[in-house]
Amino acid sequence: MSVSREEVERIARLAELHLDEAALPALTEQMSRILDYVSQIAAVPGTETVQPFTPGPVAVRFRVDEVRPVPLALTPAQLAPAFRDGFFLVPRLGAFGAGAAGGDDTE
Amino acid sequence: MTSIAETASRLAGAASLNALLTPLPEVAASLTSQAERGTTGPLAGMPVVVKDNICTLEYTTSCGSRILEGYRSPFEATAITRLKAAGAWIAGKTNCDEFAMGSSTEHSAFGRTMHPLDPARVPGGSSGGSAALVAAGAVPAALGSETGGSVRQPASFCGVVGIKPTYGRVSRYGLVAFGSSLDQIGVCGRTVSDAARVLAAISGRDPMDATCEDRDPFQIPAPPENLQGFVIGIPREYFPPDLDPGVRRACERVIKTLKDLGAAVRDVSLPHTAYAIPTYYIIAPAEASSNLARYDGVRYGPRFNGAPDVRALYQSTRGKGFGPEVRRRILVGTYVLSAGYYDAYYRRAQRMRALIAQDFRNVFDRGVDLLFTPSTPTPAFKAGEKLDDPVSMYLADIFTVTANLAGIPGLTLPIGRVDGLPIGGQLLAPQFLEDEMLEAAFTLERAVPGSDEV
Repeated sequence: MSVSREEVERIARLAELHLDEAALPALTEQMSRILDYVSQIAAVPGTETVQPFTPGPVAVRFRVDEVRPVPLALTPAQLAPAFRDGFFLVPRLGAFGAGAAGGDDTE
Repeated sequence: MTSIAETASRLAGAASLNALLTPLPEVAASLTSQAERGTTGPLAGMPVVVKDNICTLEYTTSCGSRILEGYRSPFEATAITRLKAAGAWIAGKTNCDEFAMGSSTEHSAFGRTMHPLDPARVPGGSSGGSAALVAAGAVPAALGSETGGSVRQPASFCGVVGIKPTYGRVSRYGLVAFGSSLDQIGVCGRTVSDAARVLAAISGRDPMDATCEDRDPFQIPAPPENLQGFVIGIPREYFPPDLDPGVRRACERVIKTLKDLGAAVRDVSLPHTAYAIPTYYIIAPAEASSNLARYDGVRYGPRFNGAPDVRALYQSTRGKGFGPEVRRRILVGTYVLSAGYYDAYYRRAQRMRALIAQDFRNVFDRGVDLLFTPSTPTPAFKAGEKLDDPVSMYLADIFTVTANLAGIPGLTLPIGRVDGLPIGGQLLAPQFLEDEMLEAAFTLERAVPGSDEV
């Protein structure tokens, strides 16, 4: 095994991913197999001096930095569950289970 | 030009494949309103279905994932705007592996897509719904996307034409990001001409995508009489001893045809090919783990309520919203980018990628115009066969993934059948030489019976 169950749990926390207890043994085994498999590139000598390759244009072309209307199909007011005076109304943090946005429970 | 009723009826005829995610009445209603806007242009009245990871205004864009179920994009992809401007009809969204991660379309949250010739088999993936609908005759062409072969592999399995253009040929604006240095929109077509026409319509510079090359739209070449003057390389690494015997027979028949058509055929070597899959399965998950960080239950899609704090909200939304293959890749990607492992995995993979790209340049610089290879190591496999073994599933892309790593164009076309299942042959070309690749494809399409047993 190249990764332990504890490492998988640590990585899952870094990735903000909840994992079910029951899924952990199989996932640990699969991740180990994947990482063992991809590790074979470490056996290739002489790669240390190679410059990494990225496809696409040599230089990124920048757009002119100007404020332009965003061509949205719907306005922000139409997209939002609740919208007032140019602001999105969202539930208070900690009130996620309490229901939809809007009304007195929003700020 | 196809009528709306005929398109709807053809899509309905293919309903058992579970290839289309958009409900048929919604497609019919949208086609009616699209037709009312008028259809003129090079693709006038051509119905085109679109993989569900390409943003459309007409339909939802779920990427085959619960985490984006019902998501309606407020903007559309450049490729879609251009298809509509060319007169095509957007005829619904197609099933795919979740966030394009998979090679069988079994990793969709909305059920697997069946192979059009054998429902017990997979259509390939991740653009399996697009390839299956073209193969079933429901539409002449479909948009898919490629990160490691996700257009060519299903096109090969289903017996249709699939094109992955050069990285930078088609704008990625509105293509939901998976591996940004690899992703490219591609096309499935009933014929080389159908696929090429759609590619021509969607290609060309786009100020909305900085990685899209500053080039004019692609021009379709005239089909040549023969292949005199072409030098075609046969890379020996793509014909390993354990290659499926049927795939080998079909490819040998094509190589003979290439010679008969006047091409000079040369044995060549791409020595780093064996490292392409391990390189890809470091780089692609690394990029995916970063790109998919945005799905947190706040900015997009459904939220899984009941969490006591914001981190718990992220974790439960992502844990419940992503399927098993996406979770695996996010974990692998996070691992190879994490402190202590970055140099050993990610940096090394980036260097290996450079060597794989250099292999192609070495061959093309020595007078080889195109390469010919099998598109996949086997015909379509049975559903469920590789689900528990991710590495064996990854190996289904062994002949396609190199083009994504090197950024070069590739095309698959049907070159025969074995026990009734289609076999695909692949042409690879230097960057931005899609025209030479298509000249060879037009000629081979005429000369090689794509649906004969070999």
